[in-house]
Amino acid sequence: MIQISRLSRTDWFGPLLATVIGITIVQSFSATFLSAYNVQILLLAIAVNALVAFSQMIIIAIGQMNLSVGAIGGLAAISFAGALEVWGLPAPIALVFALFVGALCGMANGILIRITGISAFVITLATLSIYKGINLGITEAQPFYGIPDSVKNFGSALLIGPIPWLVVPTLLITLLLWFMLRRLPIGRFILAVGSNDHAAALSGISVGVTVVAAHAISGFLAAMAGVLVVARLQIGQPSIGDDWLILSFAAPVIGGAILAGGHVSTTATLLGVVIVAIITQALVLFSIDPFLVQVVLGAMILAAVGLNKLRARQPLKGSI
Amino acid sequence: MSAQDFISAAPLAQSGGLSRTRFFLSNEFGLILLIAVFAVVFAMTTRGFLSPFNLFSLGRNSAVNIMIGLSMMTVIVTGGLNLAVGAMGVSAAMTCGWMIEALGLPWPLAVWGGLALGAGLGFINGWTVVRTGLHSFIITLATMSIFFGVMIFLTRAEAYRGLPDIFSAFGKMKFATYFSPLLVVTLVSALALAWLYRFTVTGREMLAAGASPAAAELSGIRVGRVVILCHMLSGVLAGMAALMLVTRNGAAIPSMAGQLGQDWLLPAFLGPVLGGTLLQGGKVSVLGTVLGAFLVTMLSSGLLMLQIGAFWVQTFLGLMLLIAVLLDKARRSYLARRNLA
Repeated sequence: MIQISRLSRTDWFGPLLATVIGITIVQSFSATFLSAYNVQILLLAIAVNALVAFSQMIIIAIGQMNLSVGAIGGLAAISFAGALEVWGLPAPIALVFALFVGALCGMANGILIRITGISAFVITLATLSIYKGINLGITEAQPFYGIPDSVKNFGSALLIGPIPWLVVPTLLITLLLWFMLRRLPIGRFILAVGSNDHAAALSGISVGVTVVAAHAISGFLAAMAGVLVVARLQIGQPSIGDDWLILSFAAPVIGGAILAGGHVSTTATLLGVVIVAIITQALVLFSIDPFLVQVVLGAMILAAVGLNKLRARQPLKGSI
Repeated sequence: MSAQDFISAAPLAQSGGLSRTRFFLSNEFGLILLIAVFAVVFAMTTRGFLSPFNLFSLGRNSAVNIMIGLSMMTVIVTGGLNLAVGAMGVSAAMTCGWMIEALGLPWPLAVWGGLALGAGLGFINGWTVVRTGLHSFIITLATMSIFFGVMIFLTRAEAYRGLPDIFSAFGKMKFATYFSPLLVVTLVSALALAWLYRFTVTGREMLAAGASPAAAELSGIRVGRVVILCHMLSGVLAGMAALMLVTRNGAAIPSMAGQLGQDWLLPAFLGPVLGGTLLQGGKVSVLGTVLGAFLVTMLSSGLLMLQIGAFWVQTFLGLMLLIAVLLDKARRSYLARRNLA
């Protein structure tokens, strides 16, 4: 009994239970759910969405929010595709360029928030519009088609069995993030600033540097997600990232992240992405209206924040 | 402290004794100045900016944008946000279209039906925010997805095009060749809101609940009920904005506010933030919101006429929001140094 109650207090246990139950239920209704092809589709969706969710998660960790995740992802995606097509750069250099653009955009967010002291919501709403406008201004809403074969092959190649190559960067980043938030000073600083920035400043942490670093990491992750979408779609669409907003909040919140900051879990966020992917897939498999995906996502956010609130109330009575 | 003391203490202190310097440093004066400057610049540099047709479309667009700004403002008053403005508005407009086409109701009834749905959705938002005690950001983020999803699911993403002619006739109507009646609707709503916040008990309670919920609760204001009321008001105003768009388009289109209604987010925040409404709640400027939203509409129209390129307009709007909050910050610290505010 003690074991179970201790498990139930960890962030990853609930989502993991939900994932297993979800897979069992969907599989029992539809035998094709765990077929090789379907697993491949699921993993492709998870590979991109996990990065989107991590990008938001880092910002939630410092107790802020980043509305511009999708706009940064889109701008990085067209930077990548544009560098390949217009400048004819080799793919690795274009990748570095796109990631640099993403990190720079994120850093700009962080610096603006830090210097002005204006809420992250307003700043990132403004930069959302700026980045999206630059994206549209450069592309005039036309996609880049000239993606070289090496990138296209990477986007469609399989590693072993149904596992696509695209999950490899996501997996590496997940491990890195997990290690960073657990062991590296910058990860601990981010969490410390998120839970109480005043206390963090008093214990010698540079709050400004930490906030800017968190935003730069967020931009970097969003850019990575954008590049992966280009590899998967095989064109550089300007509309990449338009629909990331809800998803980027859903997964961390399902993974038990506290919006006030200071408490996130990489594993649980990844499981949150998996749960969202399973439910989306199940709706398609059961030929339920795809329009309902939005409703389910919204309902899941509500349910998750409600549950988090209940969970938070148990150990610390009366403090929330 | 009694309720009466508290209510009269907070906002009146700012609006009451308007000294001359303070008026010149106010947001509203700055906005009027900016509007005048840009109007002159655009009138001189572009051809046709002051043409009756452009003035007419400017009035029509600003009517919608001001209404969207007001809709957001009513929730910002309580220190919250309403990301679902677009989703609620479109849902209300689609309900109106459905009542006319599928139920065959007369149009006035359908308009009331749409607005009632807006109020109902606002109630759901407000009730959830109050009952869960969570920040309205995450609640309205979720309900934005839910409302829009249900609306798209029920309408099958198809538009209602067979609306009575009175809708498009109202949208096309012109007073004195350049004045849109939609602007009248918006200005009347703005006046009503200004009256609400200045002279009615409910309005003062809303401001008090936004300024300090705990203090308001102690002074006998039922904060929960007031917050729900603010959200309902926001829903009605969002519905009105969407219905105005319907009269402009001549049809109720599910995508008129973009994916999930996200296209309304920027105009919704631009108006109140430019107009000096505090995001923390408790202070409101209806006139500022109207002027702010008008300035934004005028700038985007002028920039389009300067042929800077339609695709860059969004960047300029974002930059404007940024500059606006920076200027506001500078103004506030200046006032604080001079002990004026």
